[in-house]
Amino acid sequence: MQGNTAIAESAIQAGCRFYAGYPITPQNEIPEYLSWRMPQVKGVFIQAESEIAAVNMVYGASACGVRAMTSSSSPGISLMQEGISFLATAELPSVIVNVQRGGPGLGNISASQADYFQAVKGGGHGDYKCIVYAPYSVQEMWDITQLAFDTADRYRTPVIILADAILGQMTEPLLKNKSKPLNQVKDWSFGRKRKSGDKPVVIKTLHTKEGELEALNYKLFQKYETIKSKETLFEQYLVDDAQLVAVSFGISARISKSAVNILRKQNYKVGLIRPITLFPFPSEIIHETASLGKRLISIELNMGQMFEDIQISSQGKTEVYFYGRPGGGVFTPSEIADVLKRYL
Amino acid sequence: MPSLDDYKGKTPAWCPGCGNFSILKVFKEAMVELGLEPHQFLIVSGIGQAGKFPHYLKCHTFNGLHGRSLPVATGFRLANNKMPVIVVSGDGDCYGEGGNHLLHGIRRNLNIKYFVHDNQIYGLTKGQGSPTTMEGMPTKNLPFGVISNPLNPLAFAIALNCTFVARGFAGDQEQLRFIIKEAMNHNGFALVDILQPCVSFNKVNTYEWYKERVYHLDNTYDCRNRVLAFEKALEWGDRIPTGILFRCSRPVFEEKIPFISQTPLKDQPFEIEKVNKTLKEFFV
Ligand SMILES: Cc1ncc(C[n+]2csc(CCOP(=O)(O)OP(=O)(O)O)c2C)c(N)n1
Ligand code: SF4
Ligand SMILES: [Mg+2]
Repeated sequence: MQGNTAIAESAIQAGCRFYAGYPITPQNEIPEYLSWRMPQVKGVFIQAESEIAAVNMVYGASACGVRAMTSSSSPGISLMQEGISFLATAELPSVIVNVQRGGPGLGNISASQADYFQAVKGGGHGDYKCIVYAPYSVQEMWDITQLAFDTADRYRTPVIILADAILGQMTEPLLKNKSKPLNQVKDWSFGRKRKSGDKPVVIKTLHTKEGELEALNYKLFQKYETIKSKETLFEQYLVDDAQLVAVSFGISARISKSAVNILRKQNYKVGLIRPITLFPFPSEIIHETASLGKRLISIELNMGQMFEDIQISSQGKTEVYFYGRPGGGVFTPSEIADVLKRYL
Repeated sequence: MPSLDDYKGKTPAWCPGCGNFSILKVFKEAMVELGLEPHQFLIVSGIGQAGKFPHYLKCHTFNGLHGRSLPVATGFRLANNKMPVIVVSGDGDCYGEGGNHLLHGIRRNLNIKYFVHDNQIYGLTKGQGSPTTMEGMPTKNLPFGVISNPLNPLAFAIALNCTFVARGFAGDQEQLRFIIKEAMNHNGFALVDILQPCVSFNKVNTYEWYKERVYHLDNTYDCRNRVLAFEKALEWGDRIPTGILFRCSRPVFEEKIPFISQTPLKDQPFEIEKVNKTLKEFFV
């Protein structure tokens, strides 16, 4: 299956029954697939008039308790930021897929990871976070989409799947992991049946009473602490005896893993840590690895965004290097192997 | 049967004399006369003085983003098409920030009732020019007068073949109540532009200004005639027509999605076997 299609069908299997989106390359296969697939499973597909409209349609559908998703690529995701801030504050579950392309500006349609800061640090206005997943294979596009709908519901929060042009476009074999049916109508939503005299549902994000907004923000941050302790995901690859450890996510991690394999064949002691959640960031394992004296190198398709989180997590315990290329160009495994060799 | 008391909300923080008070009063009366209870419908509102409307009532409320009420209402209707959805917003919210959504909302013809409190000014942000502020009128951020032509929302809607287009006036409660009820009973998208004096920031379009100009469309007026309606919509200045300017029937968007006509999306079962069956048909 193709990466974009894997996300689309996995969403269907996860019980997503509402999709709104606006065309943009390289994610068009998601809406195209869902446009015929949704009606088959009695779900709604709608092409919105803009990304701003799309994220707000998801806002409305999610409030009814329906599993809802939108997708876009970098410039379109920028347009959605205001809506994502509102979804986070109103605590409405939703899944937002960003199949990143090169930026800034219109950029180009090749792979990039330059939206790391936007996805991980909030993106829109105000103090909030989204759970951010970074799949690195078509299989993970599938598995993470399942997971994304679950965590979105469990924590009532928007969840971002941060993919890129290569992952979206490539085709790989896939094991269709089982999903469990779910009960869709949520107690807090407009979807629950109500009778005369019941308290009406109010969704709002304006909190002007003394202390009200502050209390809400504390509550959100408590939630983010729980998410940090329970939902952090990462993969360690040949780290135990490694002297140099690459830290890399998404498509870069895929390429870095091949580079590690090349170097291992030549008996170089290199390894890989691959954050699967970017928020929550796997700070602890980075800190532990740094404390063991292993040197770290961040490898990203941007000019050093996750690099900053690695530096913060390692707290000066080791040397942290960076290799990256900005939007528009992709490195090869042998290129990364050469880079790693330079630091060994 | 509901009573006016069922709709009692917080005390409005609008300026004394604001046109919003009579719209609120008339709205409650219309809901009671229609026999609608507060838990039976949703109000989606944007941001502005008009956007506060549902807070001063008691009913299901979705206070969304500035200008984005219509997409929220669209998502909501598609997920829950058994619940009537009303959108309330100001002229800035609806015609400015949300203008593009209005255009496409009318095209889609969802069953949404859109009540625009048109005070021809940005009230909440204290008096800047809005899309309907008249040319030449000095405002906070255009002290030498607005230099763009105002939007004519009714002509715009009729040009797009909007299925229900009306103009009300906050100073004419009886007619406004009639229009609101007609809009609620209409099957399709309804745009009701309500002339709403803002006593604090619009010193031109006052109660007196409107009263001298508004007149009812009489019984002989045929609101099904689109060309005539367009002509009426262009009338603005010495005389301003109020009432239902245009109606027509077009299939409603929700009806074009057959399976939700029986069971709304939110109540659809999750049938994994069926999901996999159709998947196999496609991939094998
Ligand atoms: C994205 C965004 N931009 C600007 C604002 C500030 N703002 C709040 S209400 C408003 C306009 C209000 O005018 P109108 O819609 O006519 O409503 P009124 O207050 O006149 O009823 C503006 C610009 C906002 N809340 N959000
Ligand atoms: S500023 Fe104008 S619109 Fe707002 S409450 Fe006062 S009179 Fe009404
Ligand atoms: Mg206004």
